[in-house]
Amino acid sequence: MAKFGKEFAKGIILANPVFVLALGLCPTLAISTSIDNALGMTLGVLIVLLGSNIIIALIRNFVPNITRIPIFIVIIATLVTVVNLIFHAYLPATYEALGIYLPLIVVNCIILGRAEAFASKNPVASSIADALGITVGFMLALLMISFIRQVLGTGGLSVFGHDLFSLPGLKDHPIAIFTLPYGAFLVIGLLMGLFRRTGVMKSE
Amino acid sequence: MPAKSTLKNAFPVILLTVVVTVCVSLLTYVDSLTRERISAQEDEAVKAMLDEMFPDMSRYDFQNEIYIIYSDGEQIGYAFLAVGKGYGGDINILVGLNDDTTLKGITIVSQEETPGLGTRITEPSFTDQFAGLDVNQVALSRDGGRIDAITGSTISSSAVVEAVRETALEKIKQIEEEK
Repeated sequence: MAKFGKEFAKGIILANPVFVLALGLCPTLAISTSIDNALGMTLGVLIVLLGSNIIIALIRNFVPNITRIPIFIVIIATLVTVVNLIFHAYLPATYEALGIYLPLIVVNCIILGRAEAFASKNPVASSIADALGITVGFMLALLMISFIRQVLGTGGLSVFGHDLFSLPGLKDHPIAIFTLPYGAFLVIGLLMGLFRRTGVMKSE
Repeated sequence: MPAKSTLKNAFPVILLTVVVTVCVSLLTYVDSLTRERISAQEDEAVKAMLDEMFPDMSRYDFQNEIYIIYSDGEQIGYAFLAVGKGYGGDINILVGLNDDTTLKGITIVSQEETPGLGTRITEPSFTDQFAGLDVNQVALSRDGGRIDAITGSTISSSAVVEAVRETALEKIKQIEEEK
């Protein structure tokens, strides 16, 4: 159980997927424009990463080294498509909300990265802990980036249609660059630098 | 033993084949399981949008890519989909026409424009401008039309306007031919 906790906690800070491992930057750049998007993407990653880590940990002893990557990719792509179809058919509201993010997960290298670096070498329980920890780490990173981008880029914060606050002045003249991809690079770069400088996170 | 080493060499290939076969079968199964519900779901979404555009609608027919809208057995209008080439990708637009082929209104079904700029094409302040216009008035004001572009999003605005006008002209021709 202690090991479970350790694998879980590791994903949040020491091996934070965005700021430390620098994995999954492509979807992070694309979707971190609002808190809604951040939470939607997190839900998608949670489902797919949990599924792929479990399946890959289960079959890790049979898979020969030379074909492991194609096998992992086929499994992950299947999982994403199945989740996509099931959501579309049975949870249309969630499907609508997740929009493009669900199919985008297939190119999220966090999934393949964890399959390769962790689940293919560890038992199922640790792989579940790893998936959960990495998802929480991913969520925190996305929330941080989205918060900054949404507030500066739109002059306020609204979550699922509820306006939480808006900044007078900034609301009328938002800094639109933060909603664009280069704004995302700026925010991610500055946060990453800040975390490294203060020694909270170090690259592996 | 040569036979054994052949088997050992072939194992990765066999395993990959098995994995792919299992995955493909699973996908086919899930697809057949969900296909009907998904298309019902999509019909439902279209119906909800048509309902909003034509509050009096009692039923609709779908013929040759055009929705024909009826209210108590009487034909009150048409609707169809238009696709615009936006800044970030395709913009899908549902266009409604009154029975006299003036515009009833438009609804942006899906778009991938820049958040905060191009996405404002979905706001009523932009889409409401189309209601009641004749198709020839559908152009940006700088081109002599009646639609004001969104500041900072000329590409998105003009993509919607072009798509609505071009498609409406085409569909009106089709409707008149079929009459």
